[in-house]
Amino acid sequence: MSILQLNNISKNFGAIVALDKVTLNLEQGEVLGLMGDNGAGKSTLIKIIAGNFKQSEGEILFENNNVEFNKPMDARNKGIEVVYQDLALCDNLTAASNIYLTRELKKKFGPFSIIDFKRMFESAKNIFAELKSETLPNETVKMMSGGQRQAVALARTKLSKAKVVLLDEPTAAISVRQVAEVLELIRQLKAQGISVVIISHRMPDVFAVSDRIAVLRRGKLVANKFAKESSAEEVTALITGALETA
Amino acid sequence: MTNSNSKPKTSVSNIHELGLLVACVLVLLIFSFTAPNFFTERNLLSILRSASYVGLVAFPMTFVLISREIDISVGPSVAYSGVLFACLIKWYGISYPLATIIVLLWGLVLGYVVGIVRTKLFVPTFITTLALWSALRGMALWQTDGMPVMIGSKAFRHFFGGDFLGFPTVTWIMLVVFIIFWFLSTYSVLGTNIYAVGGNPKAARSVGINVDGIKIITLTATSFFSAVVGILFVARVSSGNSTVGEGMEFDVIAAVVVGGTALGGAVGRMTGTLLGVLFIAMIGNGLVHWGIDPDLNKVVRGIIIFLAVVINSNLTLKSNTGPKGED
Ligand SMILES: Nc1ncnc2c1ncn2[C@@H]1O[C@H](COP(=O)(O)OP(=O)(O)O)[C@@H](O)[C@H]1O
Ligand SMILES: [Mg+2]
Repeated sequence: MSILQLNNISKNFGAIVALDKVTLNLEQGEVLGLMGDNGAGKSTLIKIIAGNFKQSEGEILFENNNVEFNKPMDARNKGIEVVYQDLALCDNLTAASNIYLTRELKKKFGPFSIIDFKRMFESAKNIFAELKSETLPNETVKMMSGGQRQAVALARTKLSKAKVVLLDEPTAAISVRQVAEVLELIRQLKAQGISVVIISHRMPDVFAVSDRIAVLRRGKLVANKFAKESSAEEVTALITGALETA
Repeated sequence: MTNSNSKPKTSVSNIHELGLLVACVLVLLIFSFTAPNFFTERNLLSILRSASYVGLVAFPMTFVLISREIDISVGPSVAYSGVLFACLIKWYGISYPLATIIVLLWGLVLGYVVGIVRTKLFVPTFITTLALWSALRGMALWQTDGMPVMIGSKAFRHFFGGDFLGFPTVTWIMLVVFIIFWFLSTYSVLGTNIYAVGGNPKAARSVGINVDGIKIITLTATSFFSAVVGILFVARVSSGNSTVGEGMEFDVIAAVVVGGTALGGAVGRMTGTLLGVLFIAMIGNGLVHWGIDPDLNKVVRGIIIFLAVVINSNLTLKSNTGPKGED
């Protein structure tokens, strides 16, 4: 079943055509690798799906229903979560506090309603276990590695019962060991039936986790095929334009 | 990390507060043995009293600093609130309770305006409160011609300016306010949101926290408690004085920073601020008992506090640049 279907999505910024009639679908539990050169329109596409931008033309179907996302909250309410490259986390808070920020678990303390740290830690611990991450719920994010931070950001999306997770350059700027950790996190999301769109410049990372690869070039979708049936060479050629389409 | 580490805080804060506690005890011992009349019930209560005035503003100021703002108008704000209070009673014949309400409202509105100017007009709070620092002192002086405005109620003076159950009333008030702020900072959503705003405003906004609202709340609280202290100062001496609270912003901010709050925001705890307040109050008082010239006293105090802040901010800096990227 297609969880997300984009039909003829175009986006203009004044005279710039950032996206030109892009038609693309995303299956449930599928990992889609979205590739393309700088300025190809990847982030713009993600932002349209996430409700940051409104498309100039075209329609979005979510679970086979026509949807209009006017603001990020609209997309989030449907179960679409974005994890941005800079991983909007609060360094001074613990992993659990970050995960539960604005939706803290509470308990009664006399007449007051106070934060239930114990329950938040336990629940965060379970989420990390599901993600097979060794991140500690009570550790301050400041002390964490890039991989662990990614785990915290993804744990947030799990908590909100996301159906689609969009990752913009999740493996940029982290060490090789941590990349493996992040790729494992993506596999765990998939194993739980969550659909993932991953944007990355790192070819091996994309091929390691993606079921399907879509390539954008100057706003046009020039390829959309199973990762198994493609190769790093082919995708590189598609990105640069050495190969027209595939 | 252990499981007992449950609150929003940094890993160094415990060590830092322990260090500060040791420093407080040391300062207490040094003055007790070297300054005559320092370790007397009367003097210790007097230290407690002056610490309490500072503490009342230092707790909300801790939140202000954590949320990456600052309010340097405390001293003049205290003075003007007191003058306003005394004038309302003496010149306009307004009752004490009504005057109290008006002055507290004034404090709320002033802080709210500073917050609005910060969040809607993007004027840094340093600039706005610097302007207020000058303007409020000027207003207080101009309105009173620099003369005390005497008011008469003995009951008011005896209770709010005096003692209750053996301790200064202001100390009891300060303790209640401390508990409220400690509770807010440790167990409330509001407190967590304040830390979040200081830690990463962009992230806070992206999860739906009203960043502007949080800043307005912390600034309004500080201004409100400046007004409270203004009234309590009046109670102490039965008059509104345009010159009180001189340098109080220095004591308050120094106490907060000595207590472990980072000037750059994100890091800080109420327990640290409480210790910082006691530390600053003991030093101020002890130097007087050493018989140091009042003017020179300010110099020495400046140096000691400077050193304490340097030591502290090195600690917070280290924790901010600690192991982050690679594992
Ligand atoms: N907010 C914007 N305003 C104007 N132009 C934009 C905006 N966002 C993106 N663009 C333009 O749209 C094109 C696609 O950008 P983007 O989606 O960020 O590419 P990618 O993420 O693939 O590098 C670029 O030419 C970029 O300059
Ligand atoms: Mg991009």
